[in-house]
Amino acid sequence: MKKLLSILLAVLMVFALVGCSGKTEPEPTEEGEGKVLNLWTWNVEFWGFLEKYYADETIDEYTLKKGDVTIKRTTYPSDGGAYQDALDAALLNQENAPADEKVDLFLAEADYIIKYTNSDATMDVKSIGVTDFSNTYKYTVEAASDANGVVKGVSFQCCPSALIYRRSIAKEVLGTDDPAEVQAALDSWEKFDEVAAVAKEKGYNMLATPLDSYRVFSNNTTSAWVVDGKLNIDSAIQAWMDQAETYMAEGYAKYPAGIWSEEKNSEMFKTGTSMCFFGPAWYFNFCMGNAMDEEKGCYGDWAICKGPQAHFWGGTWMLAATGTDNPTMVADIMNSFINDADLVSKLVSEESQFSNNQAVNAKFAADESYGNAFLGNQNDTAVFAELAKDIKFQNITPYDQLINESLQNAYSEFLSGTVDKETAIKNFKDKVVATYPNITVE
Amino acid sequence: MEKKKTNPNRSISYAKWGYIFITPFFIIYAIFTFYPQLLTIYNSFFENYRDGLTVIGPNWVGLDNYKALFTLNNSGYIPIFKFLGNTIWLWVIGAVPQFVIAMMLALFFTSTRLNIRGQQFFKTVIYMPNIIMASAFSMLFFTLFSMVGPVNQLLVASGVAAEPINFLGLQVSVQSLIALMNFLMWFGNTTILLMAGIQGIDESLFESARLDGSTSTQVFFNITMPLLMPIFIYVFITSMIGGVQMFDVPQILTNRSGTPNNTSTTLVMYLNTFLGISKNYGMAGAVSVLLFIITAILSTFVFKTINTNSK
Repeated sequence: MKKLLSILLAVLMVFALVGCSGKTEPEPTEEGEGKVLNLWTWNVEFWGFLEKYYADETIDEYTLKKGDVTIKRTTYPSDGGAYQDALDAALLNQENAPADEKVDLFLAEADYIIKYTNSDATMDVKSIGVTDFSNTYKYTVEAASDANGVVKGVSFQCCPSALIYRRSIAKEVLGTDDPAEVQAALDSWEKFDEVAAVAKEKGYNMLATPLDSYRVFSNNTTSAWVVDGKLNIDSAIQAWMDQAETYMAEGYAKYPAGIWSEEKNSEMFKTGTSMCFFGPAWYFNFCMGNAMDEEKGCYGDWAICKGPQAHFWGGTWMLAATGTDNPTMVADIMNSFINDADLVSKLVSEESQFSNNQAVNAKFAADESYGNAFLGNQNDTAVFAELAKDIKFQNITPYDQLINESLQNAYSEFLSGTVDKETAIKNFKDKVVATYPNITVE
Repeated sequence: MEKKKTNPNRSISYAKWGYIFITPFFIIYAIFTFYPQLLTIYNSFFENYRDGLTVIGPNWVGLDNYKALFTLNNSGYIPIFKFLGNTIWLWVIGAVPQFVIAMMLALFFTSTRLNIRGQQFFKTVIYMPNIIMASAFSMLFFTLFSMVGPVNQLLVASGVAAEPINFLGLQVSVQSLIALMNFLMWFGNTTILLMAGIQGIDESLFESARLDGSTSTQVFFNITMPLLMPIFIYVFITSMIGGVQMFDVPQILTNRSGTPNNTSTTLVMYLNTFLGISKNYGMAGAVSVLLFIITAILSTFVFKTINTNSK
C-alpha cells in the first residue's frame, strides 16, 4: 500500500511540474500594456493587410511585430460555425486567461456580428479612443453597434456587392460589354431571366450555380430569419428558391453546387461558360484566383455593374474584446484602417479593396486615370461608391450564418435532383431545430 | 532455500506487482473515461445550451431530452432511429467484405504450405491506409470524386460517362465510398489481428489434420475457426463499436451534411450537430447515453450468440 501511495505521489508531482512550466508572467510595456496582442480571424485576408501596411516586421506565418508588441494570429475556418465556436469558448474564458492569452481584437462577419456586439464580450471603442467615424459608411457603424447604439468595433472595408460579368460573354449575349449598357439590360430580375434565356441559346450559362444569387435576395428581405423565436421564411428567400429551381430546370445555371465549390470556381477559367457572378470588392482577390490564373485565367475580361438589386455581402469588422490588455494598439489598428488616408489609399490601389473611408473612395472614384486592370481598367471604386449608398443593414439575427448555410446545403440537394423540394425544406427545418434549440419551427 | 526455512508459511507472491502495474491505467481510466461517462449521464437530465454568448441552464428537466429524441421531426421520422439505421448499414457494408478479405489474407499469410514470400512487405502495405488520418483520407476521396475531380475527368475523357457523375450526391455512391474507405482503412488491421490469432493455434493440429487427409475447408471450419473464436469475437466487437461510433469519414466526405437526404448521417454526426454552435450538452448527453446503451446491447448480443454457437 505504501508503495502504491508513493507511486501515486510521484505521478502527481510530475503532473504538477508539467503544469507549472507553461506559465510565465507577462512583462508590462512602458505604458503598462501587454506585449502580446492576440488577433482572432477566420481567414488571412486582414492579416495580410496588417502584415503589409501596419506591422514593422514579420516573424512567421502567425506572428508579427509592431514596436515591441508581438501580434499573434489565431485562425479557425468559418464553415459550420467552427470559428464562432472556438471564439465563443475563448471569450467565455477571457476572465481566467492569462493577460498574454486574452483575446484582444477579433474579426466578425455581418452574419453573426450582432451576437458579439450585443454581449459584454465586446467593449465601447469610443472609450479606448476610436471616436472619428465621420468618413466611414453609416451602415458599417450601425452593424457594429449594440441595441443601445454603443459602437463596439469598426470595419476596414465596405462591401456593396456588384454583378460581376465576363466581358467576352456579355459581348456575344448582349452585343456589348459596356457596364452602363449591360446594367440597362439587367436591372431587374425579369430582364435578368430574359437575358438568361438568350445566353442559353448561345451556349452560355447565366450563373455558374443558382446559389450565387442567394445573397442578392437574402439581403433584400423584409423580415428576419427568426421572428418571436420562430423560424420565418421571408418572401425574398421564397423568390430565390423559385429562381434557383427554374434556373436549374432551364439550364440557366450550370452546377447545383455551393458558392465556394471547386465546380463553381472552375467556371472562372477562360474555358468557363458562365456569364454572371455576384460579389463585393474583396471577391476579386479572394475568390477569383482562377480568373487571375496566368495560363488558364481570363484576367481583364471582367467588369461590374449594379445588377438587378442592390445588396451587400460579408464585410469584416474588428471588434475590441472586453478585458484586452492592449487597448492602445487595438484602437490604433482600428483608427489606422479607417482614418489613415495613406494606408487606406493603398488598400484601394494595391489590394482592389473598397475601403471604409468615403473621402479616399471619392478621390479614387473621381480619378479618371484610375482603373482596375482585372476589370479591363474599369473604375470599380466609382461603381461601388454609388452602390454603397443603397446598403441597408436590416433584418439581421445572430443565427443567420448557419441558417443561410443550412438552407443552401439542403436546397442544393433538391437542385441536384437528389430529393424533392418538400423534403429539402423539411431537412432544412430539421437541421435548424437540431442546431438551435431555442428556435421553434412550424 | 534458507529464506523458506526461516519463514515457512510465507510464499513469495508476485500478485501485488500485477495490481501495481495496472494501477496507472485504472487511475487514468477513472479520471478521463469513467468520471466523464457519469457526467454525461448526469448532464443528459438538464437543459443546458448557449444562445449566442448567453448560457441557458443548466435546468433540471428530467427525461425531457430523451422525450425530444424520440419525437417525430418535421420530416415525419424519428431522427435517432433513422441515423442508427444508417450507422449500422454503413458499418455492415464496410465490415462484411473487410472480414472476408482479412480472413483470407490471414489464412494465406499463415499457411505453411503456401509460405508466401515478402510477407513483411505485404503486411506493411495493407496496414498503410490505417496510418493516414481518416480526415485526410476522406478529404482525398472528396476531391477525387467531386464533379470536376480526376475520376470524373477520366470517365468523361475515356467516354465511359457522357457527363460528370455526381458521386457525392447519390446514395449508392456515397455509401459505397464510405464503406470502401472504412474497408481500406481497417482490413489491414483486422488481418494482422486474425493472423496473430491463427499463429497462436498449435501447428501440430494442422499437421495431424493434413496427415489424416482433411481438406482445407475442413481444416478451416473444424480447427481454425473454433480455435480462433476468442480473437474473432474480440475483433468483431471492437469493429462493431468502432462502426457505431463512425464519424470522421462520412462527416468529411459529405461536408457535414450527411448527403444525400441524410442517408449517410451517422449517430455521432447527429450528436455533433448538438455540440455545434449551441453547445447543447443536454441533448448531446442524451444521444451519448443512448449510444452507450445501444453499444452495450449489441456487444452482449454478439458475444452471447457467437459464444453459444461455438460451444
